[in-house]
Amino acid sequence: MKLERSDRGPLYAFLGPAIVLMLVFFVIPVIYVFVVSLLKWNGISAPVFRNIRNYTLLFKDTAFKRSVINNVIWALVAGFIQVPLAMVMAIILSRKPKGWKFFRTVYFFPQVISGIALAMLWRAIYNAETGLLNGILRSIGLGSVACDWLGGIKTAFPAVLIYWVFYVGYYMVIMMADITTIDTSYYEAATIDGATDFQQAIYITIPLIKKTSLLTCVTLASVMGLRQFEQVYMLTNGGPANTTSTMVLYMYKKLQDANYGIASASAVVLIIVGVLFIVCIRKLFEGQSEETAMIKKARRAVK
Amino acid sequence: MSETRLRPKLRGKELILAILRWILIIFFAVYTLFPLIWLVVSSLKTNFEFLAGSPFALPAKPQWVNYTNALTVAGLGRMLFNSVFVGLSATVVNIIVASMGAYCISRFRFKGREKIFTLFTAGILVPLNALMVPYFVIITKLGLINTYGGMILLYTAIGIPMSTFLIRGLMDSIPMELEEAAYIDGCGFYARFFHIILPLSRTGIVTAATFEFLTCWNEFVFANLLVSSEKLRTIQVGIRYFTNQFSTDYVSMYAAIVISIVPSIVGYILFQEQIIAGMTSGAVKG
Repeated sequence: MKLERSDRGPLYAFLGPAIVLMLVFFVIPVIYVFVVSLLKWNGISAPVFRNIRNYTLLFKDTAFKRSVINNVIWALVAGFIQVPLAMVMAIILSRKPKGWKFFRTVYFFPQVISGIALAMLWRAIYNAETGLLNGILRSIGLGSVACDWLGGIKTAFPAVLIYWVFYVGYYMVIMMADITTIDTSYYEAATIDGATDFQQAIYITIPLIKKTSLLTCVTLASVMGLRQFEQVYMLTNGGPANTTSTMVLYMYKKLQDANYGIASASAVVLIIVGVLFIVCIRKLFEGQSEETAMIKKARRAVK
Repeated sequence: MSETRLRPKLRGKELILAILRWILIIFFAVYTLFPLIWLVVSSLKTNFEFLAGSPFALPAKPQWVNYTNALTVAGLGRMLFNSVFVGLSATVVNIIVASMGAYCISRFRFKGREKIFTLFTAGILVPLNALMVPYFVIITKLGLINTYGGMILLYTAIGIPMSTFLIRGLMDSIPMELEEAAYIDGCGFYARFFHIILPLSRTGIVTAATFEFLTCWNEFVFANLLVSSEKLRTIQVGIRYFTNQFSTDYVSMYAAIVISIVPSIVGYILFQEQIIAGMTSGAVKG
């Protein structure tokens, strides 16, 4: 629609509130963390310029280093274990087996339950005396394996890390939406040629979703892995001995101590690691698809 | 094609694959459902039954008293009210602001439109948790720390990119001719918005509103950060204190967790299509 002179006023009035909110809650805060990360500031007294000392302090702190490592592991597990599982389920359910709608609904449940309620549920499951996990282990005669999952130095991080890996509903639904847009004639032709369902998945479905929804899901899952907070906060609060800490939890604790400079510096590290992940994943997927193209060419040549 | 496809008996590899497929389907379903069922069943036991019995055992007699305990001990009523109040207010304001913005971006060509659009889309990708410090400072500076207003303002703002994105998508699909005809008939800017565009983008608005409300309902990080008063706690923040409040009264605590989860599940089942559309369309385009 062409903008009439008389529309100009109402247009600004309509667009104004959204733009103000975007500036105040997105643009300024991002600039803000970068600036404050260079200051020593407790929110009350005058801030002191510190150059990059916050960052050197940050990387001397073993708790922070551990948090970064945990987040990276978390992001890798999310992107390269959780998403492939989701992909397998998306391929299976998009063939519409009996009851697929019911299963799709069920798999999506954890996505609508709040992270904090899920964490409470898993706290109850992992509880050393009353938990479901130890209860099951005892009832099948594996009582000796039962332990305080969230309290042990060796078990805490795996316990916090593992439970949501099998909650694949979100990524599955995204990939299912993509798979349904694939032209069915590909599959029909493949069936005539005698390709099994498994072969069709490997040679048709996966290559076709690789650069679209699969890439999106791997990126999303990794970025989510870097933002973890509720789960660790609720399950272990970073303990024992910081073995389960994450960057956001670390930032939260520094903010509670009114150490705004260090908290902002860790936010900046989080943003940078996030961008690095997104760039690397994109590179990886581009490289890989060229490789499969070459393999295909080679196959054709052999035939 | 599918009618002519013969269904041969599954043999060898095919059979193994079929079995494997069902094992996976059932495994994931059990993994999701069983802990939830265990939670509900445990919440209906007595503490003695829960502590002494097997996790698979059913309660001799459902203890509904645990639920009345949960409601009184944790003060769940107040928390549920806070969550609904904050969530609804933020959703209403968010949808008003976002649909006005989406209307401008979708229907008019003006200078800086592309830049504004990029800004909104980029907003979806910003890791909000990393902005804890500035959000805390901004809300404090505005004098809104520890108020409903602070939470409502922040929830309204952080949902703007997503809501604008969802509503704009629908508005884009409304034919221009409709609006142009109305313009020739003398309809002004506001009349066209309220009488033509808004009613026609209903589905987009419902999706965005559902998504925004669910986000507010489940939000924990900022609710926890911005509010310290017990009276203003939302349900998600309240859950955090259950372990102290109930200490060894496990079954009542489980009842309280169940009460906090039920609205999400019921809402999801009622608005399944909208929620899935909202959660996936943002992801696919982003």
